[in-house]
Amino acid sequence: MTIPDVREHTTEKNWIGKSIPRLEDRRFLLGKGGYIDDLVLPNMLEVALVRSIYPHARIVSIDTSEAEALPGVAAVVTGAQAAEMTDPLPDFGPDPENHPWRCLAVDKVRYNGEGVVAIAAESRAIAEDAAELVVIEYEPLEPIVDPMAAKEDGSPLVHETLGTNIAFHREFTFGEVDADFEGADRIISDTLHWGRSGGQPIETVGAVADYDDASGMMSIHANSLSFTSYLFMLAGTLRVPSNKLDMHPVSAGGSFGSKLWEVKTPTIAGMLSRLCGRPVKFLQDRMENISNGDHHGSDRRYEVDLAVMNDGTLRSIKITTVEDYGAYIQFGVGHHGNALAQVTGPYKMSSVYYDVTAVLTNKCQQGAYRGFGSEVGNWVLERMVDLAAAELEMDPAEIRRRNFLEPDQFPYFIPTGNVYDSGDYGGVLDKALELADYAGWRQRQTEARAEGRNVGIGICTCQERSVFSATEFWFWFDEPGAPVSSMPESVTLDVDALGNITATLYSCAMWGNSPETMVAQLVGEEFDVDPQTVNVVYASSNQGLPATGPGGSRFTVMVAGAVEVASAKIKKKGAAIAAHLLEANVEDLTWVNGGFEVAGTPTARMELADIAIQAHLFKHGLPEEIESGLEASHVYDHPYTTMPNDDRTDLGVFYPFMGHACHIAVVEVDPDTGKVDFLDYAAVHDCGTMVNPRSLCGHIVGGTAQGIGTSLLEEFVYDDDGVLQTPSFAEYVIPTSMDVPELKIGHQETPSPYTPHGIKGGGEAGRMMAPAAISAAIDDALRDHGVRVRRLPATPERIVDWIDGGG
Amino acid sequence: MKAPPFGYRRVSSAAEAADALRELGSDARILAGGQSLLPMLSVRIASPSHLVDIGRADDLRHITADNGSLRIGAAATQWSVENDQATTAAAPLLADAISRAGQVPIRHRGTVVGSIAHADPSAEIPAAVLASGATLIAASTGSEREISADDFFQGPYMTALEEGELLREVRIDRWPDGTGHAFEEFSHSHESWPVVTAAVLVLLNGGTIDRVAIAMSGVDGRPVRAGQAEHELTGQAPTPELLAEAAQSATRDLEPFSDVFGSGRYRKRVATALVRRALTTATTRAGGGA
Repeated sequence: MTIPDVREHTTEKNWIGKSIPRLEDRRFLLGKGGYIDDLVLPNMLEVALVRSIYPHARIVSIDTSEAEALPGVAAVVTGAQAAEMTDPLPDFGPDPENHPWRCLAVDKVRYNGEGVVAIAAESRAIAEDAAELVVIEYEPLEPIVDPMAAKEDGSPLVHETLGTNIAFHREFTFGEVDADFEGADRIISDTLHWGRSGGQPIETVGAVADYDDASGMMSIHANSLSFTSYLFMLAGTLRVPSNKLDMHPVSAGGSFGSKLWEVKTPTIAGMLSRLCGRPVKFLQDRMENISNGDHHGSDRRYEVDLAVMNDGTLRSIKITTVEDYGAYIQFGVGHHGNALAQVTGPYKMSSVYYDVTAVLTNKCQQGAYRGFGSEVGNWVLERMVDLAAAELEMDPAEIRRRNFLEPDQFPYFIPTGNVYDSGDYGGVLDKALELADYAGWRQRQTEARAEGRNVGIGICTCQERSVFSATEFWFWFDEPGAPVSSMPESVTLDVDALGNITATLYSCAMWGNSPETMVAQLVGEEFDVDPQTVNVVYASSNQGLPATGPGGSRFTVMVAGAVEVASAKIKKKGAAIAAHLLEANVEDLTWVNGGFEVAGTPTARMELADIAIQAHLFKHGLPEEIESGLEASHVYDHPYTTMPNDDRTDLGVFYPFMGHACHIAVVEVDPDTGKVDFLDYAAVHDCGTMVNPRSLCGHIVGGTAQGIGTSLLEEFVYDDDGVLQTPSFAEYVIPTSMDVPELKIGHQETPSPYTPHGIKGGGEAGRMMAPAAISAAIDDALRDHGVRVRRLPATPERIVDWIDGGG
Repeated sequence: MKAPPFGYRRVSSAAEAADALRELGSDARILAGGQSLLPMLSVRIASPSHLVDIGRADDLRHITADNGSLRIGAAATQWSVENDQATTAAAPLLADAISRAGQVPIRHRGTVVGSIAHADPSAEIPAAVLASGATLIAASTGSEREISADDFFQGPYMTALEEGELLREVRIDRWPDGTGHAFEEFSHSHESWPVVTAAVLVLLNGGTIDRVAIAMSGVDGRPVRAGQAEHELTGQAPTPELLAEAAQSATRDLEPFSDVFGSGRYRKRVATALVRRALTTATTRAGGGA
């Protein structure tokens, strides 16, 4: 594919850009959201798991006889039995045949919390009673906890068949790294560590499976439905024909990535439904979600060198990172593709070295969490820029401004080969400095410090890549197993006989994003109808079109493309009908305010409803070639993907629509306890044309709250013996509304030249910036103590240790 | 996270509750607000044979102040106590501690006496009760006994209650008018579990400290009084230096436990800071200039 055409965007819009009330809100506020836990099928069983108490142990024996004998228990299935009924779970990582991932552990357990036995019973309570009656004899093995030790020769192995704990390693060099370093005035170096956290939905992953042995149909209602083009893989796991698996999307109480491709839960429910001949619900409880949900976030150690000039010019960066993936690696190192999409940030830098080692340990595996690894890259780059500013005694805003790409440099290809479509970073910085009253805070900071208060200001200027291509899942390999190139999103628009419009979506139901509102506003824009009148429904996968769902801040851009073309198809047919009935040439018709009219003759006009009733009921009054009905579908493919080159010195375009934001945090640190309080917080975002500013603000507020959690509070802690110390919300502390400051939010709109209406993604905003701004603010607050945040979360205890110099 | 099977009995009086405990034996547990017990059942840390629900026992819901004593029954909710004028007048330290003990919906169900009987080593209410020199009234069939707060807390989730005994009431003797109080807490988020708390009462007389009580939680297996620090403060003029030294003294001999919320070393550091702040606030409220 070559560069797509540059679009002209009109600024005259009726519905795009308006903060209309969300279509989804009413049913959720009325308690009619219809979550998995609300779904009860007749004769339905419920599931509980027996999960491993050990991080690493051989399963010697399992005695299920007492559990099976408990009244109300329908089935007790061990991992070995499950392996006779199901195949390994679909795994996009490297070498899956050498670390097979199954719905229940077979032979040995590989992390604390891994499922070992599944029980289906008349109620979840009975299933849990039965779980206590299962007797498992384990032979504990040495736990593999520290990834740095795990990657050394001689370490015990998580997967013996793999022969190593290193699941992947590769070095990449983009541009003239050596020359750029040789010509640099200074090399700024540091060691950084981003701790493991994860998205915390209100409703966990759940599935209700209903296998019909008459038709052979496996129907599964799931809140984790995405990547419908890949559901044939789940059908393979369940050993049903791919055309006999029907996944029904159910609204989720949030995902934040944590349900991206959660196939284990539907697999267990489907397996047990077929075994028992009854519908089966499996809804994770909180401890299952945290310990066995397969969606922990990034856990990375870094060695970084930044080549800079004495005037603050950034030249090149060398990044060596070791990532602790846990016991499996379902998405491979796609998280690092996200980081490479924007590895140089908003700055002019001509080369990049990137060395990634993926290590397996005895922990729950990683999945997706808002940012998908790019938020870590943002934090690392901004930490290094701050260090350069400190060493060069430059203002953190000024060093950034000095290195920004200029608005006339776009489209801009960064060293990795990805493109930045458009941007105005100086504009965003100016808005943020004003919104935060940066100069005023510097003054107030001076006054506070004179009183002995530890007040600090942190700035970050970060990218938010959006709309990923499939290439980032395989460009890691010279000979990828499946160099897939499609990651589509689809919509069907149906105009009924009265002109009312139904939009059908084909991937996840509401996940905490606002897919229905987005589609309704886009349809409203196309047809000049009030979005609140658009009916939005979700199709099950068996009736479905190819779709991918939310992820990588892609959904709104992609569905906008689908709506645009489907609308054009409908309008083309509508124009033909109107031209026939108005006895006009179709070329003379224009769409004006909800209908077609003959150019220059506004009285010669047909409304959409007039056209629709003709299309539905009066076919024989229309030209021969026009079929009844007025509906159209469109499968929208990624608008701008190019292939990587053979030696991977150029990864191609894989994440082209580049948002940007500046966050400014003002904090005060209590040196006695290490507690961080926010005094102010400003965030200015640019994700191109906004569809609904208020729902975008929701993303920014929620993402920033998660960023605060990642920065200060949230961590999945495994102790030295590999035991998870944070299995519930008692120990895994997430910020509450009382801990999150009131955000000052500003927007800038720099439209993408390549997307419908100029929209870019904005769904991961906040979490991709807040950790960098907060880390910088803590440094600034504690600069007299010599503190530099090198590890997240910066918990109060770590902060006092750093103050004491013991960190 | 579903509770294991258990028997359930609702009682309508303290006497019925005591009788039920005697009849049902040592595996029966009192259910008051359930804000600690029910989650423990759900994760199956606890598996009592029976729950004896005192939530509708009318003679256990009292909050009364008379003869200088505040009496709180076992079924009185935290919310009702902290918003009770008798409490805020007689035991403002307790009211402050309650206001930090979980979110409002939890305090609408959770009880003051239940939190005492639960004896979480980090909890707020036991620290305030200990600082206040409270008396706990344990009832069993046909008899009652009084236990001082100093003797009541024996270890993590362990108390002086014996088999068949119901913690019927807590009695707090009012400190004299002019007493300053302060409750300080460190927790990771606004609503997460307390890590360390400090509860302080100070009474001044002519510019010197006449009487002082300091209690901490989260620094030992049970809430602790800082007797040595109290002794060092008594009779002294409260200067900032003195209060800081007393805070050091209050924690000097402690060897707090370590867990995911904080190491023992960290707990000790935070406790020292919280005691210093609480002493400062309480002294100021008592009319002192520190």
